[in-house]
Amino acid sequence: MPHLDKEQYKNQEHGAAPILNVRDLSVSFNNQEVLKDVSFSVNEGDVLAIIGPNGAGKTVLFRALMNLISYNGEIKWREDARIGYVPQKLFEKAELPLTVKEFFILKSKNLFFKDKQLVESIFHELKSVGLKPEILNQQLINLSRGQFQRVLIAWAILRHPNVLLFDEPTAGIDIAGEGSVYNLLHKLQDERGMTVLIISHDLNIVYRYADKVLCLNKEGLCFGEPKKALTSEQIERLYGESAFYHHHVH
Amino acid sequence: MNKLSDFMAKALFTITMSIEFLQNQQLLLIFVSGIFTALAASFLGAFIVVKRMALVGDVLSHVALPGIGLALLINIDPIYGAAAFLLVAAFGTWFIEKKTALPPDAIIGTFFTATLALGVLLVPNQELFESMFGNLFAIGFYDAIVIVITSIIIFVLTLILSRRLTLSIAAPDLAKSIGAKPDNSYLGFLLLFALSVALGIKLIGSILMGALTILPAVSARNLSWSLKSFLSFSVILGVLMTGLGIIIASAFNFPPGPSVILSGILFFIISLFFKKS
Repeated sequence: MPHLDKEQYKNQEHGAAPILNVRDLSVSFNNQEVLKDVSFSVNEGDVLAIIGPNGAGKTVLFRALMNLISYNGEIKWREDARIGYVPQKLFEKAELPLTVKEFFILKSKNLFFKDKQLVESIFHELKSVGLKPEILNQQLINLSRGQFQRVLIAWAILRHPNVLLFDEPTAGIDIAGEGSVYNLLHKLQDERGMTVLIISHDLNIVYRYADKVLCLNKEGLCFGEPKKALTSEQIERLYGESAFYHHHVH
Repeated sequence: MNKLSDFMAKALFTITMSIEFLQNQQLLLIFVSGIFTALAASFLGAFIVVKRMALVGDVLSHVALPGIGLALLINIDPIYGAAAFLLVAAFGTWFIEKKTALPPDAIIGTFFTATLALGVLLVPNQELFESMFGNLFAIGFYDAIVIVITSIIIFVLTLILSRRLTLSIAAPDLAKSIGAKPDNSYLGFLLLFALSVALGIKLIGSILMGALTILPAVSARNLSWSLKSFLSFSVILGVLMTGLGIIIASAFNFPPGPSVILSGILFFIISLFFKKS
């Protein structure tokens, strides 16, 4: 992927420039390298799946992409990129008695006064993730895992970002539930033309939904279309002997 | 919920009846200062509790002692000495936590032992007791004005900070992802808290000021079903327990700190019956 500077971005049609370009990204914590020389790019409207074993630096990559941590190398978002983030989990702090509605209102740019526009779009976003408005008065801690994940997605797409970073939970959501969350992401991508970066643990999902895949194990081991990039040798290299656990066929 | 509102109404009634007995202007000053101190402290206390730093708040309040000692030495109002020390300690805690990844309770524990040692050396015995447990009659007209105005400012600033603060507590990464700065909200919060502790020293005393921030919030958590109800109950209970405590203190000539805290404990015990498991 050729290097593009700001001037070139401006001169180019939006559709032509990749929405994200990452070159030689490295992250270290306390002199320990967590990510090393990772390069890839994402086109607008694509689904990029990021796969790799535990501790491969997938969530770290997301945090670097959102500029939450310091890194070396280059991360270039197109100027019109607006990111929505779906974290793997929220808090373990059950002592915070937040209702779903209050959780949404926390996203308001308004620090104090009622944000009418936001409240209206909450209803809209709830509907698009398949939740009923009644859920608004429930407490976050009382939601089922599936409901909770949908709430997180609705939160992320509130105010219409054009990029979604989705950090999939490692465990706990059953296959049926999982399937429907992916259908949902697919729908969002279709209807809104969203670019989706998804950290996934299920290779079936990668083959079925992703346009590109990035295999990560501290370094970027492969990048490209799933069917070409994800060879069985590549999978074995990535996951080692446990590969067959991940590569179950439906 | 009916039981609760009945109870609230009765408590309010008792307090309004008692206010009529506050003919004495001194008592009125104390009462008003107490209510406003509680307003700010119990609102902040709600966040202290959900941020799991209840003990931090407790310990931070003792940092005021050497400030009080120094203020007495150079003959200025102890409240300013306390405020200065508390604000520096709050900033220090924030700064060291950011730089070293040490947990805040360990940092404040370090501050605490240092400042308590200094405090005992610097503060004369009588004043030491009063600054630890409060003294009803130390509140003058001017003090009351300062307390009321500062409490209102703290309350409003906390209100403005509360959405960002809540998001930072619930999900720091989400907060950052929408461009909020959790670090700054946390610093603002600590400074506001330090200021509110300073306000309470004359009346409640530094030892028990920590309890005034925590008690209403823990009782409120038992009663609440949402953030809004949690914050509201915390403030209402804080004001109630302080009002009741001051009335008891002045009636029986107790130091105000302990009677405020004990009436808070009473509310806490009552709140346990409302807790849905």
